[in-house]
Amino acid sequence: MHYESPIREPLILGDKSYHDITVDVAKPVETTAPRSWWVAFSLALVLFLWGVGCILYTIGTGIGVWGLNKTVGWAWDITNFVWWVGIGHAGTLISAILLLFKQKWRLSINRSAEAMTIFSVIQAALFPGIHMGRIWNAYFVFPIPNQFGSLWVNFNSPLLWDVFAISTYFSVSLVFWYVGLIPDFAMIRDRAIRPVQKHIYTILSFGWGGRAKHWQRFEEVSLILAGLATPLVLSVHTIVSMDFATSVIPGWHTTIFPPYFVAGAIFSGFAMVQTLLIITRKLFHLEDYITIQHVEMMNIIIMVTGSIVGVAYLTELFIAWYSGVEYEQYAFLNRATGPYWWAYLSMMTCNVFSPQFMWFKKLRTNLIFTFILSIVVNIGMWFERFVIIVTSLHRDYLPSSWSMFSPTFVDIGIFLGTIGFFFVLFLLYARTFPVIAQAELKTALKSSGENYKKEHANHGHH
Amino acid sequence: MATNKKYWKAFEDLVDAPVVQKLRENEFAEEIPVEDFLGDKQKLESSSTTRRDFLKYLGFSTAAATLAACEAPIIESIPYVVKPEELIPGIPNFYATTYFDGFDFASVLVKTREGRPIKIEPNPEATFNGTTSARIQGTVLSLYDSGRLQGPMKDGQSTNWDSALAEIKKELTTQAGNGKQVVLLTGTVISPSLKALIAEFAAIFPNFRHVTHDAVSASGKLDFYQKTIGKRALPFINLSKAKLIVGVGADFLGDHTGQAMMKEYGMVRKPGKGMARHIQVEANMTLTGSNADKRVKLKPSMHGSALTYIYNGVSGSSLSVGALDDMAKKQLDAIIKELQANRGQSVVMAGGNDEASEAMAFAINKALGNVPSVVDTDHLVYLRQGDDKAVSSMVNDMKSGSVGGIITVGVNPNYTLNPSLGYAEAVAKVPVRATFTDRLDESAGLMTYALPLTHFLESWGDAMPTSKTYALSQPTIRPLFNTKQFEEALMVWIGKDGSYYDYLKSYYNQNIDVTLGSKGWNQVLHDGVAMVAEEPVAEDTNTNPEEEAPAMDLSGAAATLKKMADGAKGMEITFYTKAGVGTGVQANNPWLQELPDPITRISWDNYITISRKDAEELGLFNEYNSAGALNGSKVTLTVGGQTLENVPVIIQPGQTHGTIGLAVGYGRTHSGKAANGVGVNAYSVMNSGSWASDASIADAGEHEFATIQIGHTMMGRKIVNEVSLSDFLSKDVSEWNEKPVFETYRGPLTADETNLWDDFDHETMPMWNMSIDLNSCIGCGACVVACHLENNVPVVGKQEVRNLRDMHWLRIDRYYSSDMNEEVAAEQGIGAIDKFQAMEEPAESPEVVFQPVMCQHCNHAPCETVCPVAATSHSAEGLNHMAYNRCIGTRYCANNCPYKVRRFNWFNYIGNEKFADVNPTQDQYGKMVLNPDVTVRSRGVMEKCSMCIQRIQLGKLEAKKEGRPVKDGDVITACAQACPTHAITFGNVNDKESVITQAKEDHRAYHLLEEVGTQPSVFYQTKVRNRA
Amino acid sequence: MATTEHSLKVHALYDDDDVLMNAVKSVREKGYHIEDVYSPFPIHGLDHALGLRPTRIGIASFLYGLTGLTVAILMTWYMMNHDWAQNIGGKPSFTWGLNMPAFVPIMFELTVFFAAHAMVWTFLAVNGLYPGRKPMNPDPRVTDDKFLMELPVTGDKDALIALLKETGAIEIAEKE
Repeated sequence: MHYESPIREPLILGDKSYHDITVDVAKPVETTAPRSWWVAFSLALVLFLWGVGCILYTIGTGIGVWGLNKTVGWAWDITNFVWWVGIGHAGTLISAILLLFKQKWRLSINRSAEAMTIFSVIQAALFPGIHMGRIWNAYFVFPIPNQFGSLWVNFNSPLLWDVFAISTYFSVSLVFWYVGLIPDFAMIRDRAIRPVQKHIYTILSFGWGGRAKHWQRFEEVSLILAGLATPLVLSVHTIVSMDFATSVIPGWHTTIFPPYFVAGAIFSGFAMVQTLLIITRKLFHLEDYITIQHVEMMNIIIMVTGSIVGVAYLTELFIAWYSGVEYEQYAFLNRATGPYWWAYLSMMTCNVFSPQFMWFKKLRTNLIFTFILSIVVNIGMWFERFVIIVTSLHRDYLPSSWSMFSPTFVDIGIFLGTIGFFFVLFLLYARTFPVIAQAELKTALKSSGENYKKEHANHGHH
Repeated sequence: MATNKKYWKAFEDLVDAPVVQKLRENEFAEEIPVEDFLGDKQKLESSSTTRRDFLKYLGFSTAAATLAACEAPIIESIPYVVKPEELIPGIPNFYATTYFDGFDFASVLVKTREGRPIKIEPNPEATFNGTTSARIQGTVLSLYDSGRLQGPMKDGQSTNWDSALAEIKKELTTQAGNGKQVVLLTGTVISPSLKALIAEFAAIFPNFRHVTHDAVSASGKLDFYQKTIGKRALPFINLSKAKLIVGVGADFLGDHTGQAMMKEYGMVRKPGKGMARHIQVEANMTLTGSNADKRVKLKPSMHGSALTYIYNGVSGSSLSVGALDDMAKKQLDAIIKELQANRGQSVVMAGGNDEASEAMAFAINKALGNVPSVVDTDHLVYLRQGDDKAVSSMVNDMKSGSVGGIITVGVNPNYTLNPSLGYAEAVAKVPVRATFTDRLDESAGLMTYALPLTHFLESWGDAMPTSKTYALSQPTIRPLFNTKQFEEALMVWIGKDGSYYDYLKSYYNQNIDVTLGSKGWNQVLHDGVAMVAEEPVAEDTNTNPEEEAPAMDLSGAAATLKKMADGAKGMEITFYTKAGVGTGVQANNPWLQELPDPITRISWDNYITISRKDAEELGLFNEYNSAGALNGSKVTLTVGGQTLENVPVIIQPGQTHGTIGLAVGYGRTHSGKAANGVGVNAYSVMNSGSWASDASIADAGEHEFATIQIGHTMMGRKIVNEVSLSDFLSKDVSEWNEKPVFETYRGPLTADETNLWDDFDHETMPMWNMSIDLNSCIGCGACVVACHLENNVPVVGKQEVRNLRDMHWLRIDRYYSSDMNEEVAAEQGIGAIDKFQAMEEPAESPEVVFQPVMCQHCNHAPCETVCPVAATSHSAEGLNHMAYNRCIGTRYCANNCPYKVRRFNWFNYIGNEKFADVNPTQDQYGKMVLNPDVTVRSRGVMEKCSMCIQRIQLGKLEAKKEGRPVKDGDVITACAQACPTHAITFGNVNDKESVITQAKEDHRAYHLLEEVGTQPSVFYQTKVRNRA
Repeated sequence: MATTEHSLKVHALYDDDDVLMNAVKSVREKGYHIEDVYSPFPIHGLDHALGLRPTRIGIASFLYGLTGLTVAILMTWYMMNHDWAQNIGGKPSFTWGLNMPAFVPIMFELTVFFAAHAMVWTFLAVNGLYPGRKPMNPDPRVTDDKFLMELPVTGDKDALIALLKETGAIEIAEKE
């Protein structure tokens, strides 16, 4: 019943039993943190606190402390927002879509990928808040009865669609993640010796006992959540892209945006997963679970999505020319040859050109190269959003209103702050959560574990 | 009888029911029954009110009192004890008055609310200068300038008026007794009553002298007319009769002679047959030149020779002419041809401040028969009376110590005179020194007495701006400070009793003979202006008695002009006044400082304008940094031995090669928080002439500018639609004002017809539209300042303007033509990239267009759709509303606005100390100028043009009270009202008779960016250029 | 049938899922009633072997989704077209139908939101899972690598135990 073709590479290396998996997964939680963790954590914490300072300064003084002006009303704020949301796509995508396609290789990475999703969406969600001129009135965006009589939100506004999309996506990803965590918390609970730890994990595990009926419902729920999350993932960046696509600004007003943004999101998301997993793998010695094969699989996805994005860029240029609209034509000419040509160039190099290296097996199975490339890709994706937002705004219809943008230390500080915040969360998670969905992984042990595969092979021989 | 008639209050009363009786008895308690319960002792002892009860009551009352104390803080508002019957809270009152500061003159209406002047409007009754400029609009803020001198001072110590005046009188008399001169130094005086008072004052002293000093002087011109027509005055230019206007260095839309010609200019330039043509010969790119149909670049030293050349051309004489190059000659010949074709209906105006040029120009006009039809020598303008020779001789006398006392009034010679004249040292030699001034300015420090003058909005007065107009000014508010008018001081000195008001009134009754218009003091006071036959008896002290005008010595003049041309060497500098700051009198007015220059679009600075060619030769640069802010060279300027440090340099398209321009009025050191240290003082290198040769500049580092426009050309887009007069008259509208057409499934449709949805009802309510005639708009900026004060728009100061965060609701875009366009690119085979890069560069001698842009109130507004909280939505009257208190400041609306007219409150401008120096709302007096009908916006909200909705509401209410629909004139926006050329029309397009409806149907009408499909409520009228 | 000992239970512990599966099958063939099985991970086909009814949580989720959709429609209609229909950028707020295209994203998101969250709450509720509930599993090892079968003792206890031994149980305990 656990048979799987011997041609497939084993997903779990070494001679593992169920118990070994338990031990390996529980180790980071039960042992004390290595020095490397502390270094990384304190670094992240410093960045985070710096960011908090910049945010408070902004709220206290006004958006004027940013580099914006009357023409460029959005720049780093929304660039960062879209960037983080994009990164926040891979997690749910991996667990949901790959689950629907019964891709077993997802099992050892989905937990961390989902964690990453949630943490990056938290970063993303910051920006729509702090970019407001009057954040203390942020509750106006919720459809709640208010002191202004029957004054409601505007459901025509893409920004409001965002509010719903992001909050839905965030909360659904969160429960999806947590449902999966319950059995693993139970596992840690049952192993815990220290009473405090036991107590905490008892609370977290909701008293899970692994009853047959519960497992049946568990699988059903995971499946349905996956089914719901899949269109949700696609919808989120679609809706984010509508912030631009439904506007009238040349360079924003583009029907290709939804698919183009989604591809880009998957692209950057996988790159970020790549970055994190290569670190986690090293830090917690999970080489047997996160294998070169996993890395390669994801590199292939990065390559494909990268190429899709490339096609999207070219299509944009073509349509701009083909449309015959002088404003469109100028907008795109200006992107490539105007004052922000360098941003456009970096975007093209990082997103379209660099992933093409993944055609070579040597490179896509090389961890160092993969790691560097995964970072390059995310730099490129940041520039993509910068190019779309700033170079479209800074020269639109009336030349009299043309302007330029350059960030202040506050802009930069807030961005670094979110990176810090993200890693603070991720590092804490890596110390306290089962970083691998061990319960699910155990189901795949017999089919994809190295030792079991060997057995099958031997059986096959005589 | 009426007295014993009985009124019953109810039916019971009628039947006289007992209950009524009872009620009537108990209606008022006759006496308080204290005795009953305090009276007799035993009753009190037996009373049930025990100690416990007492404590209960005590406790309760204490608690009650405590509760009652817990209330919201009380904001005290003091009601009128006796309400002035003409004053209804919330309803503005308008008063006609007159503004004259020695340079600008205007007949205005002052809008007051609850006794505070808050807005200046043009006076429609006035035939002379009945229009407002940016500066005139700004004057109301200078009333609330906390930088004003608030009480009389002696040697820096505050003193009181009586003693100060007495002492001055005493000391002057003793000085006069020693045979010393007594000098009165004023700016141009046009007030007959004041002149009369001065005459009486002069009589007191044997050796009295009244010297008139104009910062920007027309002394040379006046000298000429004194000789020719025997009056120290300028002829009235009747522009409305001109078919051809030739300006030779004459910035007649700017600072020419004080006569405001914008209105007439706009009138004669209406497109159609007989549209007047305007040719401008000049060195700087002036406001006038930028509006010309043809502009000839010529060095100022050559202007005179050009005039001689033209004179020779039109009169056939052959006076000696300076060395004009062939290019110039060719262009001048063309001008001569046109002038000859327009004899009797053309005018040639000479700029500058020299006698010879004016003589030549006058000769040309005479030769062409334009005198007196256009150049009206029977109607004289008195707005410039400065006498430079008198000023210098006065200074010399002071140096020689023959002057015993000097009184300066409303002038700032230490700032406006060239230091080489040595005014400062000279005045120190004068024993008795008093100044009447509005602030402790650069000159006040040199004086013993500094006596504060009232603001014109606090003063009485009269004026004779021309020989045929008489104007009155009246106070619209009690003096804010302990100030006096100079007239009052004079009366004290002369020993006249009564107030100046009484004197003025009696003077009017005795001397002023109103011919046209309404007679009678009250009526004239109400109208503000009247027409008079001839000047009153008390004659202008400066003019000689009538004498036979000598024949003009033209050959002499020609020789002078030739010398001028041949003598000129090196770089030539032309001094000018900016639309905002002018001569610098109102330098401390942040509105005017923030108003971007119409041409360069730079605010909070003056600078040298230089041609690109010269700049490159001298290695000077202008460049935009990564944030879009403008940086440029600054130089050390040397003119005639005088040097000026750190003068910023702007590369100005259209600047004549070999010339530079520099605006006066800046570089104040003792003007106030806003003005001090802004720009450099050009007067210090200016020598009464409006230009000078042999100017040299040396690079001296980098300067940071505040500019609000960094895109200077239209990039080949149809933004300002333009057509030549010939095409306009001959060709079909589709050829010069083509409507964008969309290919739809219903066939080709225009933007208005293409609609995804059914439209909302735009018929039942009024539909407010605005028409802006790009042909009439001269870019003067009056509307910008008017909007600024009508709508409490925040002033943000230099740094924020530099950050491209100006808050103007209404801006005037200025575009230069470029040498590159589609055709050129096509024939030279230039690729798109190079083409667009070349398009960004303005031409060396560009054509200039101005385009006022405010919220277009789109009926399919991109901004409304994207607001997540519906803070901006559309009214049934076609207006795009902004709900400030609902706005959360996502700035999405501003991003999605194709016209970029939305302005975001980046900081708390009314509280943030960063803006304390520039923002009037942060000044205890400045606050008073705020329009109570308009919210002051808080930090973090978006704002924009509301089409003066407060005025719309008022207009609708007025109409409602009269029980009729709104009609033209009920509602007029601040910008439309301020516009001197009536380029802006506002009204209801559902009223088929309205002017706006006609304007909408006009062939010239088009929507800005119509192809975007926003369906704006604002539309523009195609600009028509009268090319030969 | 009536039992002499009241609610005596047998816990049989296994160390391999395949062994457990066979055990479950054979035990049920013998006609014994299996009260519950505890396992560290979902075992494919166990629910069939135990004869558990398929869960209806999916249907619930679908209904929740419908609710979400309805809420979205009613909310957008009430706020945009009924309570205060404004002219926003000329978009037709006359009827919900005309304005609907702008509401599609909201409708989708709310559908998903309701379906997902309500379902998870239901899942927790029917499983009786909540923060701090004391562990349900009788033996901590069943979250690690052991599998536990719980049977009520009805009739011959020894026979049952023998049977369980036979099926490969590594441990058999009796619980009151």
